[in-house]
Amino acid sequence: MSVRTPAPPSTSAAPAPSARGRRRDLTPLWLLTPAGLVITVVTIAPIFYLVYTSFTDYNQRTLFTGEFTYTGLDQYTSLLSSGAFWRSLLRTVLFTTAMVAGSMLIGMAVSHLLTRVSTFWRYTTTVVLILAWAMPNVASTLVWNWLFQPGYGVLNWLLAQLRVFGDTTDLNWADDPMLAYTAIWLLIVWQAVPFIALTLNAAEQQVPPEYQEAARLDGAGEFTVYRVITLTFLRPTLLLVTILSVIWDYNVFNQIWLFSAGGPGEATSTLGVFTYRTAFIGFDIGQGAAISVVTTLILLGLTALYIRNLLKSGENL
Amino acid sequence: MKRGADLLAALFCLVWVFPVYWMINSAFKRRDELQSTTPYFVPAHPTLDNFVTAFTQENFLTNLRNSVIVVAATVVLSIAIGIFAAAALSRFRFTGRRAVLVVILAVQMLPGTALLIPMFSLFNTANLLGTYYALILAYLATTLPFSIWVMRGFFVAIPVEIEEAARCDGAGTWRILISVLFPLVAPGVIATSIFAFIAAWNDYLIAYTFMQDQDHYTLPVWLASFTNPNVGTDYGGQMAASVIFSLPVVVFFLIVQRNLVAGMSAGAVKG
Repeated sequence: MSVRTPAPPSTSAAPAPSARGRRRDLTPLWLLTPAGLVITVVTIAPIFYLVYTSFTDYNQRTLFTGEFTYTGLDQYTSLLSSGAFWRSLLRTVLFTTAMVAGSMLIGMAVSHLLTRVSTFWRYTTTVVLILAWAMPNVASTLVWNWLFQPGYGVLNWLLAQLRVFGDTTDLNWADDPMLAYTAIWLLIVWQAVPFIALTLNAAEQQVPPEYQEAARLDGAGEFTVYRVITLTFLRPTLLLVTILSVIWDYNVFNQIWLFSAGGPGEATSTLGVFTYRTAFIGFDIGQGAAISVVTTLILLGLTALYIRNLLKSGENL
Repeated sequence: MKRGADLLAALFCLVWVFPVYWMINSAFKRRDELQSTTPYFVPAHPTLDNFVTAFTQENFLTNLRNSVIVVAATVVLSIAIGIFAAAALSRFRFTGRRAVLVVILAVQMLPGTALLIPMFSLFNTANLLGTYYALILAYLATTLPFSIWVMRGFFVAIPVEIEEAARCDGAGTWRILISVLFPLVAPGVIATSIFAFIAAWNDYLIAYTFMQDQDHYTLPVWLASFTNPNVGTDYGGQMAASVIFSLPVVVFFLIVQRNLVAGMSAGAVKG
């Protein structure tokens, strides 16, 4: 799903100290019960079932008969010895790095740009960013298909006008690994930059101007001021945004699925696509579960890092 | 110096708005303008035909109804269940509170397939695949935790003095909760409803996997499979359909814009 944890306006107010007077009050327990039950049913139980399934041969037949057998670590040994898995993992790591690097760099540039433009362009850019951010990713992927369509796609026409790459009119972007990656990369970066730029800009406005002015008086150039003063203040926000971007980009699915379906061949089959193909095209659900468990474990470290940093940055738990 | 920065901003806006512009532009073009070797950057003969195609597309109304029912149920349940938990996690101190919050945050970071696979098997066993219940339960897995998290932020912001004043006037804990605190978090409820709406409305993967036939699909799946048997992929119709589908989300996004910006430094909504 596309809307992820909106962490709320972080307020400095601590949870009500008035609670002190009713320490043995059972009210919070009652209040938490409905949500606790639902979360147990829809999240915690499925996670346990996922892990359980990954130790079985749950497959297409099971969906009709309900029968499956415990196979121990078989799914994991076959997964770890499968070349397709390792290739997919490598692809995911490289592609995630490229997406995060691209969107962070452009996001930082746009954030800084926003501090230096006139009010009109500041407002216009913000609206444009929110527009790109708000587009549902299914819709924007379909727009991408149309922009890059061989024959009548406007991107191919523009490229042909440059007269650098020859006649690109019939270029099929989904049919060549590097071109498919490029198009999907552009799509992800297009969608990710607004969040990064606006978040960083909100933090950049909190940088006390006295520091920047003092540095300028000492003869520092604009780039040095940015590197030494601004970046120092931005560091906590940068860290949080980078971790979130890594987690989100690592989990990207819809955009790849609807643009290239993981193809050509398995060329753009990142872990998400690989899992989906295994579990829901091949209906090898046991194997799919094992891939999903491994994928989640890889993410777990990053998630822990994110939560720790969120705590450190003053979010009051 | 400002002139140069403005120029860069203008250039950036041009590039970034282009995909959205192209979607809208294509939605109003006639077929011969869509299939032209030189693209029309402005429709020469603007037409509403593509919207008519989209609205009269088979299954549009059924799938729209499915979307509305499932999304509405998800939003209402997320808020109704989440608001009590949010109150508990913000206005009370008790052991295990921190652990609950960490679980709520960690759940957000799970890859989509980690819940999709077990839910698919479990719903298959329970004969729930293809029903609204399957989708609503699957959506709650994401929307409930983040609804609790977002509403909690609004509860925390209410000054303790208000609560104490009500207590002095003789109101009990539940009375304070329902008549004092809940009305005060109303703006938070609206923002949270919008977040939950967007999450459920935009989902493609779960509906595509669980619903299994055209009558039961929701709008995103309908949109992605938008083809015209006569002309292959009908890009004009698909772009018009994309405009229709995206419009409520964009409008809602603009409404919660202020909350997005306020909450961003802690990591807000991902597009």
